[in-house]
Amino acid sequence: MQTSPRSSPRDRGSRSPAYPRQDSTGTLKATISFAPGKNPSVTQTGTFYLMKDTPEPTEISASINLLAHYGLEHSYNKYFGKKVKEELSSFLPHLPGNIDSPGIQDNSSLRSLIEKAPITGKELHPLSGSSLTGFRLHPGPLPEQYQMMAQMPNKKKKHKKRSREMDTAKGNALQVAQTPDNAADTEARKPKKVKKEEDNTKEKRKKKKEKKKKKQKHSPEQQSQTHGGADSAS
Amino acid sequence: MADKFETLEQQLELFIENTRQIGIVVSDFQPQGQNVLNQKLNTMVNEMQELDKLRSQVQDVNVPLEVFDYIDQGRNPNLYTRDCLEKALTKNEQVKGKVDNLKKFKALLMVELNKVFPQEMNMYRAWKGNDRPA
Repeated sequence: MQTSPRSSPRDRGSRSPAYPRQDSTGTLKATISFAPGKNPSVTQTGTFYLMKDTPEPTEISASINLLAHYGLEHSYNKYFGKKVKEELSSFLPHLPGNIDSPGIQDNSSLRSLIEKAPITGKELHPLSGSSLTGFRLHPGPLPEQYQMMAQMPNKKKKHKKRSREMDTAKGNALQVAQTPDNAADTEARKPKKVKKEEDNTKEKRKKKKEKKKKKQKHSPEQQSQTHGGADSAS
Repeated sequence: MADKFETLEQQLELFIENTRQIGIVVSDFQPQGQNVLNQKLNTMVNEMQELDKLRSQVQDVNVPLEVFDYIDQGRNPNLYTRDCLEKALTKNEQVKGKVDNLKKFKALLMVELNKVFPQEMNMYRAWKGNDRPA
């Protein structure tokens, strides 16, 4: 079987020069008809060359609205209907302190918690008397750079139960910090009027700031609410 | 399912509130506040124990790591959900455009092939009709 030099390389499998190849016409499933009085013709009865089976049609494809298919239209309207605030504090309004700053700055990032996981699995036991001796503090105020926990967050929306619980708890904490005589009994007492206590605490904070300014100018003075003769730690 | 999150949220709020109160006591510490501080520290340990008990209830909850990146940047995590929806919608529109254009191309190609290779196209249609399941 001779092949024409003019035949394209693709016909003989991109091989050059042309050389005789094995006859593979049987695999093409062609039939040659030799009808009398008619020219012989070759007809293919098999599939077309390089023809692949079509994939079965699926119900779910990108040609349909996938959000509607999975019932996410309500979520879409919720997130795109109104503006979503950028700050983390809008998502967690009740958290104290400044939470909008990046966690990397004060080493409080969640990524670092995942990368350097803390040791878990140990049992938690209440602190004994000897353990609590390590928590004996010297009296006096902290430097202002560390007084971040005293900053109250802006409470825009209040749930009645939670606001009452938080206010009573706050009132208890402030009473403990500022009334020396009843320090042991304040946990048992519950303040009746929360609003008056908030006003009192604000006034006390202003007084404290004024006293700090005075302390910076003059020698340290005894505070009016504490006992006389308090020892200075430093 | 919502109850376990509600319980966890309440416990976390109690813990945060107790921590905040400790911060207030410590910010201007007085000697008579030592007992209260000790009580609050033990309260903190008890609340940690309660949180540890709740851990088993949320063991199967999976949170995408990308949400943590948003929180670490001080951004609202709802923005992550919004960005996911936006990406899904954009991709849906893109692929729908590709599918529609390919369908149009197939229709035009069939028309032109029918003009040039009518017999082959008849065979193709016959084979397609036999090959497809009833």
